[in-house]
Amino acid sequence: MTEDASSPAAALSAASTAGAVLSAAALLAACGGGSSTDSGSDSDPQNALPANDGEAARFLAQAGFAASTTDVATVKSVGYGRWLDMQFNASRSQTHYDWLVAKGYSAETYRNSLAGVDATLWRKLIGSSDQLRQRVVLALSEIFVVSMNGLPVSWPGFAVAGYVDMLEERCFGTFRNLLEGVTLSPAMGVYLAMRGNRKEDPRSGRQPDENYAREVMQLFTIGLNQLNPDGSPKTNGGKTIDTYTLAQISEVARVFTGWDFDTTAPSGADPSYMRRPMVHTASRFSTGVKKVLDTTIPESADGPAAMKAALDTLANHPNVGPFIGRQLIQRLVCSNPSGAYVQRVATAFNDNGQGVRGDMKAVIRAVLLDSEARTPSANPGGGKLREPVQRLIQWARTVGMSSPGDLWAIGDCSNPASRLGQSPMRSGSVFNFFRPGYVPPNSQLGTNGVTAPEFQLCNESTVAGYLNFMQGLVNAGIGDMKPDYTADLAIAADATALVQRHALLLGGGTVSEATITTITTAVGAIVATTDAGKLNRVKASWLLMLASPDYQIQK
Amino acid sequence: MAHVSRLAALRRREFLKRASALSVAGTAAPWALQLAAINEAAAATAPGDYKALVCLFLYGGNDHGNTLVPYDAASHQLYSTIRQTLATPRDQLAATALTPSVALPDGRQMALAPTMTGLKPVFDAGRLAVMLNIGTLMQPTTLAQYKAGNVPLPPKLFSHNDQQSLWQSSNPEGAISGWGGRLGDQFLSSNGNATFSCINISGNAVYMAGKQAVQYQMNSGGAVAINGVTRTLFGSQACSDALRTLVTGERSHWMEAELNRVTARSITAQSTISSALSNITLQTPFETGSLAAQLQMVARLIGARQALGASRQVFFVSLGGFDLHDLLVNQHPGLLGSVGNAMASFDAALQELGVAQNVTTFTASDFGRTLSSNGDGSDHGWGSYHFVMGGAVKGGRFYGQLPSVSVGGPDDVGQGRLLPTTSVDQLAATLARWMGVSATDLPLVLPGIVNFDQKDLGFMTV
Repeated sequence: MTEDASSPAAALSAASTAGAVLSAAALLAACGGGSSTDSGSDSDPQNALPANDGEAARFLAQAGFAASTTDVATVKSVGYGRWLDMQFNASRSQTHYDWLVAKGYSAETYRNSLAGVDATLWRKLIGSSDQLRQRVVLALSEIFVVSMNGLPVSWPGFAVAGYVDMLEERCFGTFRNLLEGVTLSPAMGVYLAMRGNRKEDPRSGRQPDENYAREVMQLFTIGLNQLNPDGSPKTNGGKTIDTYTLAQISEVARVFTGWDFDTTAPSGADPSYMRRPMVHTASRFSTGVKKVLDTTIPESADGPAAMKAALDTLANHPNVGPFIGRQLIQRLVCSNPSGAYVQRVATAFNDNGQGVRGDMKAVIRAVLLDSEARTPSANPGGGKLREPVQRLIQWARTVGMSSPGDLWAIGDCSNPASRLGQSPMRSGSVFNFFRPGYVPPNSQLGTNGVTAPEFQLCNESTVAGYLNFMQGLVNAGIGDMKPDYTADLAIAADATALVQRHALLLGGGTVSEATITTITTAVGAIVATTDAGKLNRVKASWLLMLASPDYQIQK
Repeated sequence: MAHVSRLAALRRREFLKRASALSVAGTAAPWALQLAAINEAAAATAPGDYKALVCLFLYGGNDHGNTLVPYDAASHQLYSTIRQTLATPRDQLAATALTPSVALPDGRQMALAPTMTGLKPVFDAGRLAVMLNIGTLMQPTTLAQYKAGNVPLPPKLFSHNDQQSLWQSSNPEGAISGWGGRLGDQFLSSNGNATFSCINISGNAVYMAGKQAVQYQMNSGGAVAINGVTRTLFGSQACSDALRTLVTGERSHWMEAELNRVTARSITAQSTISSALSNITLQTPFETGSLAAQLQMVARLIGARQALGASRQVFFVSLGGFDLHDLLVNQHPGLLGSVGNAMASFDAALQELGVAQNVTTFTASDFGRTLSSNGDGSDHGWGSYHFVMGGAVKGGRFYGQLPSVSVGGPDDVGQGRLLPTTSVDQLAATLARWMGVSATDLPLVLPGIVNFDQKDLGFMTV
């Protein structure tokens, strides 16, 4: 117990450090929110070191979910770039698929069930040490959306498990490889109806299903408008330029015909086909010449060859870098990156420096090491609202939550009145929980045209649901998952030190002095002469910090 | 329109009287708060003068072809040939075949989907009308003009998010106000509490955002109190007070300010809503399910309109799951059953409350779908069929042009996707006029209506 308490204290050196962080942050130049600054090319971002604990904690909240005292020390010692290298190479924890099997969910009785899926998702998001991978997978799951609300098929739980495992497997490879994984995954096959899609039938008038053809272009690769490298739409006579027409969608739909599960007995008790890519049946494939954007796919191309040509064409489209890059910035760093920031990420997407296009490691590196990411924005529209699940995961990791019984029984957090209004892999549609271009109406954000996607989930119910749900968690944990307050209790007699610690770990040095003072005064009013009093101080400090807008808006 | 000018007069008089009382508070508060305060001060609710509009949005693009099905033998034969396995057999439609007060042309007959039996009596009683081939349009458009591309077309046709946004706001995704919210703008000052002008029971929709009106979002279970604010926080009143300060205080960072503005509104509105609803119970049964629960809550809120200080309100409810590229036959009937039953219960509840004449409900959706089949479902289309329900609706009949049952027909832009012959703007304008928007103010709510000669479709009793 004393070991736990002393080592964080040493790493964080409590109050004084956080104070220094704040003044340092205040001195740094403004960026973000539309103003572009040069990336400071004289220093190699790969080797840059955080100046203090706050900067390290702030980086960890972008690159992962949370800053443990150990992580803070590591980033300070090895620097941002090498920490990313370590995380790129971090081993993966047990796959979702294997965990479900190990827990007995492959028994026939679970064939139509989602049982265990929320648990294994929380298990990795909260408990897995490869937190960069987990953070990127969550981000990708909100771009290449598959939802448990929309999988009318046997073994839906294993479909989701297989899908998220696939994202884990491919998230640090190439975009092209990731796109193929998404395209041929059974889960996406079901969710966007590409599975079972058949060629046209002139006799009955049946046409190929256009669902996947449309969304693979609109949402997963190129978007609706032709883009400049900085993510702004190209225009012609003041009007945006469409990337494709309805007729082109019908053409692409013909490419994605003939695919189905890799199983001969989809009704059996074996869900393993849910983690194998779909396979092709030539007799269901729409033959003949097809056009995908400007690429002509010859009649000689069979189904797999046609799909390869289509995915190559889409993945090579100049829109992909800015379109996907901007969304990754939004998921990890800020809602309104400058055009220059988007362009720097797009440039890394187009070429990782070694001639490789779509190298996801290079893209992630460009997103996280950019000066606009590394420097808190002074712009009143800078930063982003942390998404609700991110707040839960960050706090749970920070207080060392785990599930001794390997149950991870947090469950579905979708209820907006009593929980978070959001839960991993449970979006309402393929358009995700929020849209990248969402601007809250009737606000200073709206007046100034500031994009704030996560605000699409922010309403009079969810703000209350979040605070009430977190109060319950802070008070008693959930299921067998209990917060570890050892380090907090050791300093709870000193309200200032306690609140500074929480500000640092959650806010990464961006919580205002005024908010720290408000919380410290209130927490200090709780008499801390008893263990119960100390515990109440700890709980109150966590909840007030989680509630503070300083924290909720990631700067 | 008499009541509108009376309201306007009251509005101006009250405004002048109360604006001076407010001027002290004026300068420091954010503009939106000031505006809300001024409007509340100017409120002039005439008892008994109440109107509400309810938008029921079917997310995903409802398959209109199986919602209202050709029933006369010849049309049903054409329909079955095109839709193949998607077609609803004719013998299942007998109980829901409609007999409109104005017959459809060429001996055509239509039937509601078999699971929508709940709506048949409402249609027969004259409280339900059907809008034929309605969709997003910039101006009246012929098939030749569509093909030639020589008139402005709605941007991003066939795309879910954009067409949802166009239905709701007349602009593609990224729009920041919708026509429901802009209707709310017109009536903010006639409501005692501006917060409750636009109430969304299903999350967030651009439809409900006005230029000034802010959508208040709540759940079918009611408004949620923040425990740490209403009681001590971990035994500490000081911490509870600090929580309130942190989550409601003014902030210079725009995102922090918006977060706190929402939370402050949450706290204030919750106490009003909870107390207003405490006296309202309905005898009318609603089935279980999300949409039924949402409409039940709307009915209760309408029952509580006086306590909420409301004389003009816009509500939004929704049901998802309509994007049936797959499993159409398996899933669509159940969804339509939920819609039909929930609407029928809502109609009954409004009669119970004695406000059937005062509330109009209409359905909307991303788009209609292809008439042709993809084997297991249908794909994104354009024009669709929709319902308008209420005591003030001249129901029991169809409005607009009945499209031919064909692929490659005179309204077909491909695979049986309908080019709309009635625009959403025309539907909206008719409803806006009923709510009391003057002809002069109509373009404030619906800028696109100027492109349509017929601004009133004639389905409302004014």
